[in-house]
Amino acid sequence: MAEEKQESSQGEMEGVNCLAYDEAIIAQQDRIQQEIATSNPLVSDRQALTVLQNEYAQDDSIYQLKIKDLHKKYSYIRKTRPDGNCFYRAFGFSHLESLLEDSKELQRFKAVASKSKLDLVNEGFTEFTIEDFHNTFMDLIELCEKQPGLKELLGSFNDQNVSDYVVVYLRLLTSGYLQREHGFFQHFIEGGRSVKEFCQQEVEPMSKESDHIHIIALAQALDVSILVEYMDRGEGGTVNHHVFPEGSIPRIFLLYRPGHYDILYK
Amino acid sequence: MENKYNLKSPAVKRLMKEAAELRDPTEHYHAQPLEDNLFEWHFSVRGPPDSDFDGGVYHGRIVLPPEYPMKPPSIILLTPNGRFEVGKKICLSISGHHPETWQPSWSIRTALIAIIGFMPTKGEGAIGSLDYTPEERRSLAKKSQDFCCEACESSMRTALLPPSPDREPPQDHEAQELAQQISFKADSRQASESGGATSDPPTPSPGESSSPGDRDSSEDPLEDQAEGSSLAPPPPAERSEGPGRPLSPRQRRAHQAHQRRETPPPLPHPDAARRTLAGAGPRGRSQAGTAVLILVLTLALAALIFRRLYLAQEYKFDYEL
Repeated sequence: MAEEKQESSQGEMEGVNCLAYDEAIIAQQDRIQQEIATSNPLVSDRQALTVLQNEYAQDDSIYQLKIKDLHKKYSYIRKTRPDGNCFYRAFGFSHLESLLEDSKELQRFKAVASKSKLDLVNEGFTEFTIEDFHNTFMDLIELCEKQPGLKELLGSFNDQNVSDYVVVYLRLLTSGYLQREHGFFQHFIEGGRSVKEFCQQEVEPMSKESDHIHIIALAQALDVSILVEYMDRGEGGTVNHHVFPEGSIPRIFLLYRPGHYDILYK
Repeated sequence: MENKYNLKSPAVKRLMKEAAELRDPTEHYHAQPLEDNLFEWHFSVRGPPDSDFDGGVYHGRIVLPPEYPMKPPSIILLTPNGRFEVGKKICLSISGHHPETWQPSWSIRTALIAIIGFMPTKGEGAIGSLDYTPEERRSLAKKSQDFCCEACESSMRTALLPPSPDREPPQDHEAQELAQQISFKADSRQASESGGATSDPPTPSPGESSSPGDRDSSEDPLEDQAEGSSLAPPPPAERSEGPGRPLSPRQRRAHQAHQRRETPPPLPHPDAARRTLAGAGPRGRSQAGTAVLILVLTLALAALIFRRLYLAQEYKFDYEL
């Protein structure tokens, strides 16, 4: 509301010198993005779940009740930068982190990941444009094989180049799976778009946020079960969760608050 | 060139690959980096057959951002063609003006094919677009073959392989598909910009009506223009850019606010679009106001000049008498 008022007062300026105005907006936007970037690492350290309590007012009974409920099941949280890529980054980090202590799953996952590029190429993705992303992803899996400290993995995920390339590859895997199973997913796409259009507009471009459909596709593409706890303003005092794909045993636990995903730990 | 760049930089790695991939001209396109700058390329594309651009070969620059391929390339035409302004960054969803729809798995080749596919579509007042008549375009197509680029020393007559006799472009389908995707974006942008009183936002495909990252356009528009004009013959009489532009800051601001809040995934953009449309009214009025003001001032000025002339003549008459 306040924003709308502000807009109408600025409305008159626009006609006068919109070019200078454009630049001001762009500069402001860069500042906002930088602010987000400096105050939020791409992937944070693990923190006690109690940090959540301080994020909401003490008398915000809906959230405080739900946080209490969350405490029954989880003890820690690891935050991701709210840049629209948080689901992929949270998933990528959380799963690779779990592989540090599970060499059996690591081998299975490595095989699936290494084959995945060929699947994408067979679907029509251009090999030389996707191979850099794939290589970065495989490098990280191989890094996990060497059993490095958690710090090293965290460092890689906070290197913007590496981290973004992993996000791109996970987006490609999601897009590839949606398109492969387009007969099924077509029913869930709104706005009369084809699955391919949906992928080009909502999946492959960076910073496009993720919804159920993205999560289910990525979970199935890599055969990794994901549990998402949904915490919003809904009444009831408890946090609802959903497992993707339904009925599987979850490996990854994510916390969803409107527009954002973080990682949860038991 | 290999020694000059940090091979660990993802952009350098990728651009090296693309340079190798595009080394040999095809009959439809060719692009290579300048000798001294891997981040600036020159390209030539053949005008699509069965269009007003048939027989034309068009030359231009591609400027790659340091974040490439995470950010899109900018495309600047250097040959007058009647579809895109010369020396100006082109407003395709694939290039710099709509970075949010760029996909990192696209490449310079994708951009070239998109340009070819996009040429026959209507400009409709989009930034950097021209709507010349078919005759003008055909005559420019003929002339385009005479163009020689001083910077990359390529001549349009020899830049591409001669077209094959069956004239069945292999990537025609791809080009059309890309062009469709892109023109769809142009359309909806148009719709939100002309900003009628409709309360229904155009089919919401989030993100495209707002353009958070016109950032690229601010990068160095002046330098681009200057460089462009030093390389190319002066652009033909430019048509006005159309009324669309002033609304974009509003859209961007709306989008920005959303980004900051990170609202739930399926909702944010239709909302933004609605606000955009709702906000279009006052701007229209203030534009009309400006027009009236300009008219009044012009009239006043004319009156003053007239009076001045009249006085001068009177004075002269007096003098002679």
